Order: sequence, then C-alpha cells, then structure tokens
Amino acid sequence: MIARRLFLQGLSATAITAGLAPEISAQEAASQAETEAARQIAPSADSSPLRVGIIGPGSRGKELVRNLLRVPGVRIVAAADVYPPRFDQLNQVCGYTVPSHTDYRALLDRKDLDAIVVATPLGLHASHVIPALQSGRHVYGEKTMAYTVDQARDIAAAAKVSNRIYQVGHQYRYSPWIRAAIARVKAGEIGNVTHILGYWNRNNDWRRPVPTADPSGHLERLINWRLYHEWSLGLIAELGSHHMDIANWIFGSAPTTALASGSICCYHDGRETDDNVQVVLSYPAGRRFIFTSMTDNAKQGDQLWLYGTKGSLNVTLEDATFFYEPRQIVKAPTNGKGEEKGVTTSASYRPEGEMPYRGPGKPLTIANPEDATTIAIRAFVHCVRTNTQPIANADVGLGSALGVIHANQALREKKEVAIPLIST
Amino acid sequence: MVALRAALLSVLLTVPCVCANTPAPPIVHRFHQNHLAMGTEFTLDLYAPDQALASEVAAQAFDEIDRLEALLSNYRPASELSRIGREAAAHPVITDPETFHFLERSLFWSRESDGAFDITVGPVLRAWGFFFHSGRIPSSSELVALRPRVGWQHIHLDPGTRAVSFMTRQPMELDPGSIGKGFAIDAVIAILREQGITSAFLSAGNSTLYGLGAPPGAFGWPVHVPDPHHPGQPAATILLHDTSLSTGACTEKFFVHNGHRYCHIFDPRTLSPAEGMLQTSVIAPSATDSDALSTVVFVLDPQATRYLLEHTPETRALLFGQPPDHEACLAINWEGSPCTSAKPSPHKDLPL
Repeated sequence: MIARRLFLQGLSATAITAGLAPEISAQEAASQAETEAARQIAPSADSSPLRVGIIGPGSRGKELVRNLLRVPGVRIVAAADVYPPRFDQLNQVCGYTVPSHTDYRALLDRKDLDAIVVATPLGLHASHVIPALQSGRHVYGEKTMAYTVDQARDIAAAAKVSNRIYQVGHQYRYSPWIRAAIARVKAGEIGNVTHILGYWNRNNDWRRPVPTADPSGHLERLINWRLYHEWSLGLIAELGSHHMDIANWIFGSAPTTALASGSICCYHDGRETDDNVQVVLSYPAGRRFIFTSMTDNAKQGDQLWLYGTKGSLNVTLEDATFFYEPRQIVKAPTNGKGEEKGVTTSASYRPEGEMPYRGPGKPLTIANPEDATTIAIRAFVHCVRTNTQPIANADVGLGSALGVIHANQALREKKEVAIPLIST
Repeated sequence: MVALRAALLSVLLTVPCVCANTPAPPIVHRFHQNHLAMGTEFTLDLYAPDQALASEVAAQAFDEIDRLEALLSNYRPASELSRIGREAAAHPVITDPETFHFLERSLFWSRESDGAFDITVGPVLRAWGFFFHSGRIPSSSELVALRPRVGWQHIHLDPGTRAVSFMTRQPMELDPGSIGKGFAIDAVIAILREQGITSAFLSAGNSTLYGLGAPPGAFGWPVHVPDPHHPGQPAATILLHDTSLSTGACTEKFFVHNGHRYCHIFDPRTLSPAEGMLQTSVIAPSATDSDALSTVVFVLDPQATRYLLEHTPETRALLFGQPPDHEACLAINWEGSPCTSAKPSPHKDLPL
C-alpha cells in the first residue's frame, strides 16, 4: 500500500520509480514524469490505424467522438446504446454510418476493435468498463470512475490484470493552462495552499427533453438519469468530481474525511438528486477543499480558487490568473555604511494603488492553450499506441471517486464520514 | 414614406384547415430568452405547451451555441479553429467532420465569390484597428507584409483524411465572424426540429435570423429591413417561414478619417474596407449561407452579385448602396418592389 501523501499523482513519482534503480531521487522521478506527461500531451504525427468503439454515444459520448476524429488514424467502427436515436446522431457526427448494437456485449464480441470509449451513466460504468478491459481492449472511461469504491477498485484491478490502458475522463489533468498554473503553485508561487474552493453553478434544471410520450417514465429515467439515484451520484459526481481531482492533485493526497449537504430547493419535479450541494473535504495538515454547486443561479459558473499563504490562483475553463497577498514585513537591506539615503517627496497617487489593492491579477500566458478534452483524447490514443501509463490513470480516477462517493454518503447520513485509505 | 411590403417566403402556403374530425391543436404559449454568445446577443422565441419544455429546449439551444462558440471562436485559443490556425502551417491537422464541414462551406463561398468572402482576413482587420476600436489606416508596406498570412486559397482541405494544411507554411487566423453565427443558428434549428418545436424565431444580434414555421395563426415571422437612406423607415417587411435572413451593414461598426467612412466589412482582395455599400440583406434556406452571402454581396460589385445570386437557388437579396458608384437600392429575386421608393438620402449624413 502506498502512502496517502504520494497517492493520486497521476503519473506520480511512485509510478515512475517502480522498477527503477533506488538511487533515482523523487525529484528526478517527478521530472521524468513531467517529461512523459509532455510527451502524451504533444501532438503526434503517428497516424497508424486505431479502431474505436463507443458504448453510450450520448451528448458527452458524441463530444468524445468529435475529439477522437481529430486524431490521425482513428476511426469509429462500432457503437452500442439502448436508446436507438443516438445512432443517427452519432452518424451525423462521424459523417459515415457506424455499425450499431443495442446490446454492448455484441459490441464487445466484434473482432475489429482496438479501444472502447465508455460514456454511459455513472451507475453503469463498472459493468461496461470491466468487460471491455477483459475483452482485451483499451478503455477511455468517463468520470466519475465508478458508483462505488468497490467498483472503482474492480476497474483498476481489471486494467492491471488485462494489462490494457485505462484512462479516466478527468481531462483537466491535460489542460495546458491548468498544468502550467499548478506547476507554479507547486514551485511555491502562492505559498502553502491551505484552501481550495470549487464552484460550479448553473441556471437550468439540468433536464434533457424527453422527445416522445413516456407514460411509464422509462425514457425519463434513461435520458435524465442524472436526476435519479439508481445511476447517479448527482452534482457532486457530475460536476464536483473534476474539482475534487484537482484538489487531490494540488494537495498530493486523497481526502481524509467528507462533510456534505444538499437539498432540492428549486426543481420539485420528481427528481431524486439534489439541485444544490455543498461539500467539505479534509486533507492532511488541516487543509480543506470546499465545493458548492447550485442550479438556479450561474453567477460564479465553473471555477476554482486556490488560496495559499502568499497568494491565490483562479482557474476557469479558459484561463488561470494569479493574485498576490500584501507583502509581509521583511528584513531590509542596508548599504553597509549605516547612512540614511533619504527619500524624495512627491504626490502619493500611484495607478497600481487603485482599489482593489491586490490589483487585477496576473493572467497566465502559455503558447498552446488547447482544449483539455482534445488533448486528453489525443493522449489516450498516444498511450494506446505506445503502451504508456496515462496521466489520468486508475489512481487518479479512484482518488476523485473516493471524494465523490464519501461526500454522497455524508450527505445521505448527515454526518462527517472518514475516508479510508484505499489504493489500487 | 416607404410603403410596407409584405412578402411571404415559404414553400408552405397552405392555410391551416379546421375540420370537424381534426383534433384541436395543443394550446401553446410564447416563450422568450436571451443569451450572450459569439460577441452578440442571441434571442430565442418559441411556442411550446408549457414552461418546462420551453426551458429544456432553450437550454439545449443555448448549450449548442456555447459549444459552437468554443469550437469556432478566434478569441478563444482553445477553440478547434484556433488550434488549426496555429498548427496547420507546420503539418496537416486532422479535424472532426463538423469543423471540416464548416471550413468546406467557408471556402465554398470564397470560391463562389472569387475571394470576396475570406475567413483568413482577421489580421487585416487588426491592422486597420478594428479589433481594438481604434481605427487607423495602415501603410501599404504593412498590408503587403500581411499577404502570406491572408488568403483562403492558401488553405488546403483534404476530404479523404479531413486534413487542413496551410500551403504558405505560415500560421493563419481563422475568423468565423461572417459565417459562424449562421452556422450556429442552423445547428440550433436542427435541435429545435428534433425536439418537436414547430414555431420558433432565433436571432443572432438581429443580423442573422431564422424563422422556424410561423407563429400560431400567421404565415411567418415578420422582419423589417430598414432603409439606410431614410433612417427609421423600413424598406420592406418580409415573413420568414423555414428560412433565414442575414444583414450586413456599415452603419454600426466603422471609423471616419478625413471625412471618409471606413467600414469593418473588408474586401479581402484589396485588403481594404469594402466601399460603396451601406447595407445588404440576404435570404437563404440556410443561415450559414445567408450569413456568408450578406458579406459576399457587400463586397462584390452589383453585377457580380446579380450573377452569383441568380445562380444560387432560393436566395434573394436587397442591397443599399451609395450612388454614383452603387445603386441606391437593388433588389435581386426579392418579392415585391422595395426599391421603387428608395432613393438616395438628400443629406450626406453618412460619409463614404
């Protein structure tokens, strides 16, 4: 079992050092990990054929397919879904007819597949990802990794036993500006990060229209699965899991306890999952991640704030901006002669002194700010072609899943719950 | 006063039949929502039986617009179009079918218009100061230096592999400004149809419009085309029914230097603002096409416009130019006679 501190680093020092000579330091291993991550993220000229099947070409599944079709050599060769209208929609995205199956097992039985994308409801992830891995295919599985901790561990075990690539859909790990910003945070730019606040607010009822008459409610539960406990862990999973993953990444650890609250305050339409949630995850050394999501006011949108002893970092889906705390008193340099040089008097106005005192912040600038999902998918194909452990591997998936699952438990039980240290 | 003229633009001219055995149509209500995207305000009006359905459909519609903005925006470095602009000089970039189709359609209109439409024209607008609201006249050497970075003919599309390459080996800025809003409207209309919505009106900042079906009891969605020679007066009123209308105009975004008006709509062939045209409105079944065509006909001379539109089925145009170089009003395939009363303004209140 590995220490909680080193757990969940993605391409972590522990993963890289496994099998290496013991004299390689953790710092060198981390540097090698970063080099490997850069290799995965970079565009590749490799256009060797890769045949991909998809289980669950819904809205997110189609977006993953669009990104797959931007990778040279990739072709979508099969799709499985229990809701037939998805097939026509997928054909439109692909520009050709993709052979379709209403039973995912028929897709797994095909002989012409190298990799499978699983973008089904959360409660079904394990029952699709594990057989896909066992069939010998590499798998890109959407987040959250699994509905239960046991299922997440089973997915990790299946990936290990089958020796196939399993990448979880935590694409923020691939975002160039988030990676660059976190590298600076880890180098100490905002001091010791003690608190992370994650917001994901929307102003809609999170429903998808049910297009035809549905007296039994079957289609409602199929299309709006996010609103029902059977397959969904609600806003904490669908939105919060990304932020929890980043908190794990920055704190270098899985959370230790979870507190959560939620309610249905706006959409009394028969849904079971809450329309607003609040989560507090504790990390070693008293650090905290706080997540809040509401669906009737989108003011904050999707953003993260990292608070450190020297400054703050604001991360959005498009950019990252640093802010700095007022400086604290430091020892003054002297000229060695003990003489006062004196000051020149002037007007007191300085443009930089305008409110707010911390200034407008310093945006991060990077050369190639590509879309995170585009990179994550391209990196998955790279990992399949080169048999390389992905950045967002099973450890990363399990770490976020631990936060999601235990926060939901805390919400249900209305008490703080301990998160056991569990490794893959 | 220019008389109002109504023209029904629809292939569906049947009057709704009220028969004894026909079930009464469901009662629908009109819903309205605004959404900021693509540098403008989209508005959606639709008829639906209840608020819940209207809300879900509107959310889907605006999610789609946001998705396409993230895909196409040249203001967003993470967009697919920005990625292509950065990388296609160094190596062929494989893109998804949707983006490839967008580029194909953009280049189609570039070809059809002999380069009057060009999504690579962004650096030229920048040189003329249009991105920062500080209009200036660049030197000819500045413009010459931009040549390798501008020109639709430098974009090579390989449909077999969906690869995009820049033949000049120079990165290019791909600016969807003259076609992207129409592309988004077409995508949203497809979603509305899929969701069973039969009556809706979608507007991108009033410059690109689509009328889906018609409001209950009406034949189409009314749109007034203003007469720029007589501000405040409509030149024509048309009814949109399953078709789109786009308008390009030099009345909002321009700068004046030494008494000459420089318009934000550019002639990519001269790397200079288009001259002589005040306003163009084009009707076409596809909003992507009407959006592009409203720019095309703004830039082309009227003879070339007439030739192009007469060879483009189901398109109509109403153009307002500044004499003597351009006709004060020119209607092509436009129903009615909107130009009979449109005369040049007696006042030179719009410098050209």
